[in-house]
Amino acid sequence: MSKFELYELYKFFLIALFSWLFCCRPHQFKISPPPADRHEPYEYTGQKAMVVAAHPLAVEAGLKILKTGGNAIDAAIATACALNAAEPFASGIGGGGFMIIYLSERKKVTVINFREKAPLNFYAQIFNEKGEEAPVWRTLKGTAVGVPGALAGWELALRRYGTKSLIEVMQPAIEIAKKGFPVSETFSAINKEEYEKILANAGENTIYLKEGLPYEPGDLFRNPELAETLQLIAQRGIEIFYQGEIARKIVRAVQEKGGLMTLEDLAHYRAVEVEPLRGQYREAEIYTIPPPGSGLHLLQLLNIASFWPLSEWGLTSSRYLHHLTEAMRLVFADREAFLGDPDFIDIPVDKLLSPKSAQHKANLIRPDRVLMEYLPENSPIETKAGNTTHLCVVDEKGNAVALTQSINHFFGSGIIPEGTGFILNNTLDDFASSDSGPNSPGPGRRPASSMAPLLLFKKGKLKLILGSPGGTRIFPTLAEIIINLIDFGLSLDAAIEAPRFFSYSQNGQIRPLNLEPRFPLEIIKELESLGHKITLREPYDKYFGGAQGIMIDRARNLILGGADSRRDGFGQGY
Amino acid sequence: MEIKKTITSSLMFFLFYLFAASSPDLPKFSQPALITSAGQNAEVQMVAVLAKRAGIDHILNKMATGQDLEGYKSLLLVLGASLKGLGAAGIDINKELERVKSLIEFSRQKDIPILCLHLGGEERRGAQSDQFIKACLPAAKMVIVVKSGNKDGLFTRMCQDLGIPLVEVEKISDALEPLKNSFSK
Repeated sequence: MSKFELYELYKFFLIALFSWLFCCRPHQFKISPPPADRHEPYEYTGQKAMVVAAHPLAVEAGLKILKTGGNAIDAAIATACALNAAEPFASGIGGGGFMIIYLSERKKVTVINFREKAPLNFYAQIFNEKGEEAPVWRTLKGTAVGVPGALAGWELALRRYGTKSLIEVMQPAIEIAKKGFPVSETFSAINKEEYEKILANAGENTIYLKEGLPYEPGDLFRNPELAETLQLIAQRGIEIFYQGEIARKIVRAVQEKGGLMTLEDLAHYRAVEVEPLRGQYREAEIYTIPPPGSGLHLLQLLNIASFWPLSEWGLTSSRYLHHLTEAMRLVFADREAFLGDPDFIDIPVDKLLSPKSAQHKANLIRPDRVLMEYLPENSPIETKAGNTTHLCVVDEKGNAVALTQSINHFFGSGIIPEGTGFILNNTLDDFASSDSGPNSPGPGRRPASSMAPLLLFKKGKLKLILGSPGGTRIFPTLAEIIINLIDFGLSLDAAIEAPRFFSYSQNGQIRPLNLEPRFPLEIIKELESLGHKITLREPYDKYFGGAQGIMIDRARNLILGGADSRRDGFGQGY
Repeated sequence: MEIKKTITSSLMFFLFYLFAASSPDLPKFSQPALITSAGQNAEVQMVAVLAKRAGIDHILNKMATGQDLEGYKSLLLVLGASLKGLGAAGIDINKELERVKSLIEFSRQKDIPILCLHLGGEERRGAQSDQFIKACLPAAKMVIVVKSGNKDGLFTRMCQDLGIPLVEVEKISDALEPLKNSFSK
């Protein structure tokens, strides 16, 4: 071979190498670091899979499961369990929730309902017979505690759709609880806000206080008792929680605080798989959870909004805020009248979701003033302080999970079964305060929930996985995010971070319009002139929830994650 | 060796001087004390726990009015508005302000000294909380504040203008010492 031939061969080799490097290798996406200002919109990116949740350690737990061959369901349960350790004030094995699952190969959407239930000896007057003390018995006493459903729900999802064992998916949570982590500003602020409850029900020596006072940002929070509890469950199965020694500790703790839960209640608890609700908003198809969740009301709100040219009106227009606020109040009137446990009452879902119903409501709304009366009237409902958590997962095969879980208020009831390290919920406060009606307290009933995790499809392809905590603000918040995306063309995280607003009606009467003060002052003044009483919240207020979402951008072959800066939202993909 | 000793002792003396110079005589308060919040915040409960640890004879009354002050020798006002707390107490911000102002007026008439504490940090600032801070500080004999709540210097400015001693602490648990000292004989 001549020198020239050698040179030509070398040249060919180099060209081939560079061609492979630049053309044939998979496209590398650029990851920019998160901005210094946590509120500045920022999308996490991935190409194959992603987890988004309310704490970085929980996200890490889910990713670890995905990277070791687990599917979206395995990763969602690992993340949910890790949140018990990393964000224990918002959810955990002492609570319950809902998850909506998409199985890509089977093109199937399904829902697991693991909402807490009232004990079997519960009765309609249980709270009202306490007179002025009723609020305390609804939130801080043993009567507030519903039979927890989280473990049963996680186990059911894993058994039907997962590939890993409970012991595998619980391991990251056990490690987090054992090793601990530095407390965030969010954790510290919530710990301070709920101090009185923790002190009253868990005492000065609880793990949830540091030497009897709230944790400060940066303090190390470890929960060895929770680590032991989770280890025990991982090794011996959920039976130990529902029928064994943990069940006995739960019952003792609840009864000592005046509750009615028995061992039988725990032994009889079952999570259930149910059909999702399906709706449409403009070009998008939305799957969400049925009653007792509030997917129904999310779809109602979007149905009404679909009659308005929102993209013309704009996000920061008084016209948009006024119309959607009035729609919220009308939907809340329906929520009062109809929402409850479908195992015990009939809910006219089809009627409420009909275009006729939406058109009627849209026509009722007046552009020049508030209505003042919102029909139908029925049992009253309070604006609950619901404080929950949400996570989203998508895996390499396109399976996805949107999971919202809770112990209701932050730090739940504040009741901790001895030596277990987990907090029991106060979800039974979600029953209506009247003795009769669709959501009145009753034996074995699941109280109405505001949760509405959802999956959004475009042209038959999964586009968005979304959910949020935030009590009664959940479904209005989700509607606002969907409108921000579809009508106002915002990116996923910009849609999540955009200023929020919320209102409702109670007994048909108008309630204040809660706003983040990032809306322009002149808009706020215009809203006041239309008859809205304004309550200004913090600029990024936890009151409005902490939404998490994943968007699949097929055109760019990217998975985008949006995590709410109102809490410690975080995401990671690969 | 001698030089080293001299430098060390000079340094110690200098540090002591600095400490002494920055800790002027703080006002003293007498027991029993009534503790209440100005804004129905959660920190009022923390102050009660700190008062217990400091051995201060006290009572916590979240809705105290002037009449409740009868028989008490000090008033501890824990500053900061909580919408959640106000909701739980069933009052709005204006009524809470009225309650606090009437307490201040009563304590002025009866010559009961007021110790103000702001322990909620940055989270417990903002327009609503600042209303209470501005209403209470002029009546205070001393103020204890967690540093992050004074990032903008509001407490420093107001205390300087009003001639009130201000004690800044890093975190809530650090408020124990100044609280204890202010009630020691």
